[in-house]
Amino acid sequence: MSELAGPARGYWSNVLRRLMRDRVALACILVLAVILLAAIFAPLVAPGDPFRASMLRRLRPIGTPGNLLGTDELGRDMLTRLIYGGRLSLFTGIVPVINAFAIGTFLGVFAGYSGGRANMAIMRTIDVFYAFPSVLLAIAISGALGAGIFNSIVSLTVVFVPPIARVAESVTTQVRSLDFVDAARASGAGALTIIRVHILGNVLGPVFVYATGLVSVSMILASGLSFLGLGTKPPEAEWGLMLNTLRTAIYAQPLVAALPGAMIFAVSICFNLFSDGLRQAMDVKL
Amino acid sequence: MLQYLLRRFVYAIPIALGVSVVCFALVHISPGDPLASVLPPDASLEMQQIMRQVYGFDRPLPVQFGFWLWRALAGDLGVSIATGRPVAGEVWHAFGNTFMLAALAAAFGFSAGALLGLVAGYWRGGWIDRLASTLSIAGISVPHYWLGMVLAIVFSVQLNWLPATGAGPGGSADWTWDWAHVRFLVLPALTMSVIPLGIVARSVRALVGDILSQEFVDALRAKGLPESGIFLHILKNAAPTSLAVMGLQLGYLLGGSILIETVFAWPGTGFLLGNAILQRDLPLLQGTILVLAMFFVVLNLLVDVAQTWLDPRIKRA
Amino acid sequence: MEFRKLVIAAAAGTLLLAGQAAAQGTLRIGMTASDIPLTTGQTDQGGEGMRFLGYTAYDALINWDLSSAEKASDLVPGLASEWKVDAADKTKWVFKLRPGVKFHDGSAFDAAAVVWNLEKLLNQQAPQFDPRQSAQGRSRIPAVASYRAIDPSTVEITTKSPDATFPYQIAWIMMSSPAQWEKVGKNWDAFAKTPAGTGPWKIANFVPRERVELVPNPEYWDKKRVPKLERLVLVPLPEASARTAALRSGQVDWIEAPAPDAIDSLKKAGMQIVTNAYPHNWTWHLSRVDGSPWNDVRVRKAANLAVDREGIKELLGGMAIPAQGFFPPGHQWAGKPAFKLRHDVAEAKKLMTEAGFGPNKPLETKILIAPSGSGQMQPLPMNEFVQQNLADAWIKITFEVVDWNTLINIWRAGAKHESSRGATGMNYTYFIQDPFTGLIRHLQSSLQPPAGTNWGYYSDPEMDGLFDKVRNTFDAAEQTKVLQKIHEKYVDEALFLMVTHDVNPRAMSPKVKGFVQAQNWFQDFSPVFMAK
Repeated sequence: MSELAGPARGYWSNVLRRLMRDRVALACILVLAVILLAAIFAPLVAPGDPFRASMLRRLRPIGTPGNLLGTDELGRDMLTRLIYGGRLSLFTGIVPVINAFAIGTFLGVFAGYSGGRANMAIMRTIDVFYAFPSVLLAIAISGALGAGIFNSIVSLTVVFVPPIARVAESVTTQVRSLDFVDAARASGAGALTIIRVHILGNVLGPVFVYATGLVSVSMILASGLSFLGLGTKPPEAEWGLMLNTLRTAIYAQPLVAALPGAMIFAVSICFNLFSDGLRQAMDVKL
Repeated sequence: MLQYLLRRFVYAIPIALGVSVVCFALVHISPGDPLASVLPPDASLEMQQIMRQVYGFDRPLPVQFGFWLWRALAGDLGVSIATGRPVAGEVWHAFGNTFMLAALAAAFGFSAGALLGLVAGYWRGGWIDRLASTLSIAGISVPHYWLGMVLAIVFSVQLNWLPATGAGPGGSADWTWDWAHVRFLVLPALTMSVIPLGIVARSVRALVGDILSQEFVDALRAKGLPESGIFLHILKNAAPTSLAVMGLQLGYLLGGSILIETVFAWPGTGFLLGNAILQRDLPLLQGTILVLAMFFVVLNLLVDVAQTWLDPRIKRA
Repeated sequence: MEFRKLVIAAAAGTLLLAGQAAAQGTLRIGMTASDIPLTTGQTDQGGEGMRFLGYTAYDALINWDLSSAEKASDLVPGLASEWKVDAADKTKWVFKLRPGVKFHDGSAFDAAAVVWNLEKLLNQQAPQFDPRQSAQGRSRIPAVASYRAIDPSTVEITTKSPDATFPYQIAWIMMSSPAQWEKVGKNWDAFAKTPAGTGPWKIANFVPRERVELVPNPEYWDKKRVPKLERLVLVPLPEASARTAALRSGQVDWIEAPAPDAIDSLKKAGMQIVTNAYPHNWTWHLSRVDGSPWNDVRVRKAANLAVDREGIKELLGGMAIPAQGFFPPGHQWAGKPAFKLRHDVAEAKKLMTEAGFGPNKPLETKILIAPSGSGQMQPLPMNEFVQQNLADAWIKITFEVVDWNTLINIWRAGAKHESSRGATGMNYTYFIQDPFTGLIRHLQSSLQPPAGTNWGYYSDPEMDGLFDKVRNTFDAAEQTKVLQKIHEKYVDEALFLMVTHDVNPRAMSPKVKGFVQAQNWFQDFSPVFMAK
């Protein structure tokens, strides 16, 4: 941790400047922004209706007039479905990380700041969940709860809370023992103030960088759950699910069937490269 | 050292207990009738009641947990609802298959990843570094179940070089290490290896970079140590952490094989898990998750111990 | 002269032998089941389980005739060479057992074995009671009250009330070897590994979840059905694209239910696609509880007229038979319904207008569907297609999607149960092979949940009367007439939304020869052989 002392005012503008100089990260941000905006404004952007099926236009190849990226097994426009699919895929990929970021940071900071028994209780419980390989835990919980977007978000949140809480706890514990925190405490500052001013300022940065790195894992896992039939339910458009339902068409239209997987791949790469860039720009080591 | 080992071992016990509670609880938070899979669709309510008694699902949960844990400690994981076979035997057999797959994937992924990472870290910024970084980013970003499908289409269906599903011409029971059988391993193992390849390459690259930026390397260079000697130094210093990363990756491979095994119909623990979920076979689900999680706990312990042993400088709180 | 004859005979003998040798080989089949069905006799995994590990390794007292692809199959003598109902007391059935039949372990099949097998399913106190087989078999023979061996070759079974459909029930019950069960330590798990029945195939080798191998039983009592193959290997491949890949890369020679979209590419790769009608239908089971819109026959008819069944067939790549009734066209029980299931949106709108609906006042209701399930074909696209069709006739459907096991539980619980979530219909496919599974269980008022699976609480004294008549008509021709009358009522009153019948597509390598696809859920593998 090179930035342990409270970040200076110019810190974030520095980070931004450094990020802007990173061409790869910039390109990724651009790609992600396009996909995200397209997903958000899908009804305006998409050329068609994502649910409108046509038995006569099933499984058209890429480049068909009117269906730029072909059609799926129900004759629905692939481009439209991919744009709409971004909504749920990004949602089920990002929301668990946001949840876990909030819950994990809270638990970690609380455990780290309190120390003693509270720390023991929280961190040992977290250790138990940490003792499961992540895919196994996600599938176990989703498998137990059954299919559905909500269940898949719950299970992925549970998967990502432990690692985030661990990072938050270790940073908090380090910061807590530093001189300036002692000084603040001696000057009569309340626990909440200390946490808000001194601890969160130091903890959020590294935890945030760490969390951005989890988004790609979360996307792949969420789509994987849908692929296994444990996530989003049809007829929703979601990349993992589209990959699953198009699997039977893979001999008829291999390229069309491979598109949703390529989307997951592209977004996942962008998130990873962006996270790398952010890490360098913020000079955080984990 | 011995004291540390002992403490580390004792510490693993409550974790293991916690893991078993989670495994048990998981299955009982699940909605739906656990016996749905054995009953034919038009079974009467009376029939369902009889079955519930036969399988012991009418007893209170803590009692069920007690029995389950006690028997699990004796190596008895109960009986699969869907097949009536002992879960322990099923899991053990499947675990062997998954281990075979994971070990091969690990062997390939780790060696290729370590090599890539080493080269990239050593010649930082060069084209090799860029290639290695791209490969490793791709490795950790690719939805591997999708990659598996693509590979199966190309190599099995189009080219007909390698089989697409299963574990050998006669199933996994008569497995032998000859090409007739090993060819069944190639595609799933290759698909599975991309994630550890990416992660190991990234970790090793970062480690090597760190070591090279440390002052002692400059000092060694100044002393006139040949590059081969410096390389050896790097290896020695990067080994403990790299091994720890690999150990955990092996655990993730074993625990995360479900998607690959579904795509390739490989009869391992992931396939078993998929079946258990599909058929809502609760004892099987419980048993499989428990065995995999326990293995991961033990693996973590071993990794810690190995790391301490290799690198005594690591201070253990 | 004598010498020449001998030479010819020898030559003919060699030819015959050569012919036999050519007509052998190993057939590997990819099943849709996710696991090997139970091998102990009464199988699980639905119709597929009985197809592959029921009627192959075992026999029932009465079997299905699976020898013809042209006509709907009916019952034929199995382990019982004849059976009849007592003329005076119509609850008493006497079965004459086939003499000289041996189980695969060499022990004799006799009346005691029949009683033993019924006890295995029905008597919880019996040492051989097997909860797993019981769960599968018990509900197949609801009519049985008691049973006894009259002499070593005669069994008497008494039913609770006169029931002419009883032979169809007993055709479900597989006979396992009591002697083998004793020999392996009175343990069904051990029996599962080394099973013994009387069937044309013996279960030789069994790797749980991966494969099971069957070899011919040369001593089979019906010499016509001694298998020609050397070996039959069954592999569970639940995933449709994995099945297709396995067939195309030569790991199996035959797959059940290839994905419709893969069929073209399979044909191009030289595979044979075998299809045939069989007693299966894909319906919406309609609720008839108070307040259901389907209580109005005009609405039911309108919905049936709005469905574009040819479009569904197109969606399924031609792998379907558009419904003309509840039973497939040409079925011996189809009769001559007056109401024709055609695609006529104008007529549907007219009926809807009469019923008080219109473009500005559509009928809105909810239907339960599952994204997958045994026999459900391609439930999601098909249901979405039907949804679009019905919208043309001002019927606005919303779907409540639940998983397959949940749907089965809801189906058991009934339309009034809270788990049905107020839905007025469910998409359910039916196995309709005999009078009970085909007609009675859906609509008899005494079978309303929880007693049975009359999910929609249909109740019509006239229908109940017809069902009673089926059960009390012991003359086959007369019984068929009553069944036709029931089916006509099913169609004329549009009691279901009748959409389509599956054709049970199978894809197999060109080397597979001799298979005759019977119009049945079950199939005979004995005549199959592999070309060199």
